[in-house]
Amino acid sequence: MSRFPRLPAWPLTLKVPLLVAALMIAVAVIISQIVLTRLVKDQETNLTLLANAYLDGLSAAVLPAVIRGDVWETFDVLDRARGQYSGVEARYAIVELPDGSVLAASDPTSFPIHSPVPAELRSKFLNKDGLVINDDVGRAWLTRGLRAEGFSVGQILAEIDIASLLRIRSQVVLTLILVNGALAIAFSLIGYFAVKHMLQPLGVLSRYVERAREGRVEPIPERYRKKVASEFGQLFDRFNAMARAVSDRETLASHLAEQDKYAMLGRLASGMAHEVNNPLGGMMNAIDTIQSHSEDPEVLSKSLDFLKRGLAGIRNVVRAALVTYKGGSDTSLLTPTELDDLPFLVQHETGVRRLRLDWRNRVPEPLAIDGPAVRQITLNLLLNACAASPFGGAVAVEASRSDGALRIAVSDEGPGLPQDMAALLTSAGRIAAPSRESKGLGLWTTGNLIKRLNGVAAVERRETGTRIVVTLPVKTEAARHAA
Amino acid sequence: MIPAVSRRSILLGTAAASVSSILPAAGASEGFNFGLTPLFLDNDIELLAMVGRYLTKRLERPIALIKRRTYHEISAMLLSGQLDAAWICDDPYVQYQDKLALLAVPLYRHKPLYQTYVIVNDSNSAQSFDDIRGTVHAFSDPDSTSGYLVTRWMLALRQTTPALFFRDSFFTYGHRNVIRAVGAGLAQSGSIDGYVWEVMTEREPELVRRTRIVFKSEWLGFPPIVTPMVIRDMPAVKALGRGAARHAYRSARSKNSERVGARRIHYRNAGYVREH
Repeated sequence: MSRFPRLPAWPLTLKVPLLVAALMIAVAVIISQIVLTRLVKDQETNLTLLANAYLDGLSAAVLPAVIRGDVWETFDVLDRARGQYSGVEARYAIVELPDGSVLAASDPTSFPIHSPVPAELRSKFLNKDGLVINDDVGRAWLTRGLRAEGFSVGQILAEIDIASLLRIRSQVVLTLILVNGALAIAFSLIGYFAVKHMLQPLGVLSRYVERAREGRVEPIPERYRKKVASEFGQLFDRFNAMARAVSDRETLASHLAEQDKYAMLGRLASGMAHEVNNPLGGMMNAIDTIQSHSEDPEVLSKSLDFLKRGLAGIRNVVRAALVTYKGGSDTSLLTPTELDDLPFLVQHETGVRRLRLDWRNRVPEPLAIDGPAVRQITLNLLLNACAASPFGGAVAVEASRSDGALRIAVSDEGPGLPQDMAALLTSAGRIAAPSRESKGLGLWTTGNLIKRLNGVAAVERRETGTRIVVTLPVKTEAARHAA
Repeated sequence: MIPAVSRRSILLGTAAASVSSILPAAGASEGFNFGLTPLFLDNDIELLAMVGRYLTKRLERPIALIKRRTYHEISAMLLSGQLDAAWICDDPYVQYQDKLALLAVPLYRHKPLYQTYVIVNDSNSAQSFDDIRGTVHAFSDPDSTSGYLVTRWMLALRQTTPALFFRDSFFTYGHRNVIRAVGAGLAQSGSIDGYVWEVMTEREPELVRRTRIVFKSEWLGFPPIVTPMVIRDMPAVKALGRGAARHAYRSARSKNSERVGARRIHYRNAGYVREH
């Protein structure tokens, strides 16, 4: 398993300079190889030419003396030739007679006259005219036959020091390494800064996309648009078009939600009117009874009790409506009573559909949380559950507190919450508002409220119906006081 | 008349003599051909040029300084009348004494004498002439007394020859070349003019330092300046001899000579010239 991340995962600002450096190194290696190969070839060609020039001069000068077997003249030529040929650093030159003995050598101490040429040395030279190069020891060995009228009268054997050529080679290698290394680093740096500069618009785009994810959909300002390349300009334009569309849609959704709210209010108001109207008939009868049987204390007492119960019911409904829609309650606190009022608001819904409401409020004390928002969330989910449940079905609501969080679970026996509707609640990110035609505005509003309170919602599909669990963080006591 | 003179001053002196109007027509009606053997150092091109210019100016006629590779060539040219005068080795003079007339003899260290040296490479262990047996030997010239004859005589005394005594031998045709050959190790021993070796110790000490003297001969007559016997009485030749002596005396002490020679070493050898 590699310790390094896969190459595609690396940032472009790193990848491009690395790629440039790798390409430069590859190019440098190839070019260096070509240059060196060419250099070696040229040096060998030049060495051959120089060696031939050297041998041409030497053989022409030495030939008459060799024909005469003149030791001194031969030595004189070899001795004078030393250092006379630029580019050829002869370590020694030997004139070998056909019988293999030395006529004379530039270094007579090492190669005395009329002594045989050492076999070990002889093996380094070609048996014909030519050049043997050994880079490892920095030497070249030249052979040039001396002929007169078609007869061989001897040959010149010379050892050339090619250390200077090898030194030039190593200098060229060093220069290539330094220059190419510097170029690779320079181009990599240029690549890094160029790519970094070119990718700046992506950073801007990324920032604005992140803002959109957080709920602040803003178009990218025109000042950025002017500075970027055309590709990014088009991208910015499309982003801005999208941002405007999202913004328009949200405005519309808010508007729709408001309308929905009023529609729901209307439904609640009619339900409330119904709830108020029901006891009113009985109560009117009770008043009539009191008027006609005022002398009967028992009838009077029963009628007054009936009136009292009727008025208490009306009072509960009115109070719940007041709390829910008039506001005025403390937004930093949720009392258990505020939740307990909710069944009164859905009394009409449950009554009409003959639903059984299993209401369990286990919140023992006021909680540091936005009360109206929690009531709105719970009411919406409850109304949704009532609407989803079949006639005569059961709806259960359970509110509890655990581990610093308020947990509200609403379950129904409906056909199950569709996936896209559930996503309105459970999605972590911001979700576009549903269109006017589609349903789900209530759930979308609820989802937004849950997110506003930094809560999460989970939708559990059960054998029959759905269970929605909303978990909302509750501020600690200390934090609440601080706030 | 015993003017102080060096060998080189003699050369200059030949030109200094105002002999242009009395030079014989024979051999050099237009100019004067003066022969030089390899005793004159091969590599002294600068001095040779100066001598040539000086003689030409003094004689008011072209002076040709004739150099040849071997002593024999100069001797042959002299005998065949191609040269008016020459500075030759004493051996050819003795050989052709009946055909050559002596004009002057340079003095070396106040005497008309010099020695033969036998030298060895400095790395050689030889200490005497007999120690050089079995070495490769470098001779100067077959017609040179110091460069060949003396060594042959030494070997003859030992009833042997170079081929038997030495492992190998060759001629270099120049005393300086003998030093080069022995110094470089081409030869382990060599026969040389003592005068040349001494001069070279000061002129090219690096070269001479690689050689060492193992034998010095008895004193020999110094190489003379000669003219063909047939023109010995020609006024020009006689005047040349006198002029050489006279001018040599003056030039040895003149600033001009100091300037031309510019090599004080040669004046250290100042001696006498005897007119023949």
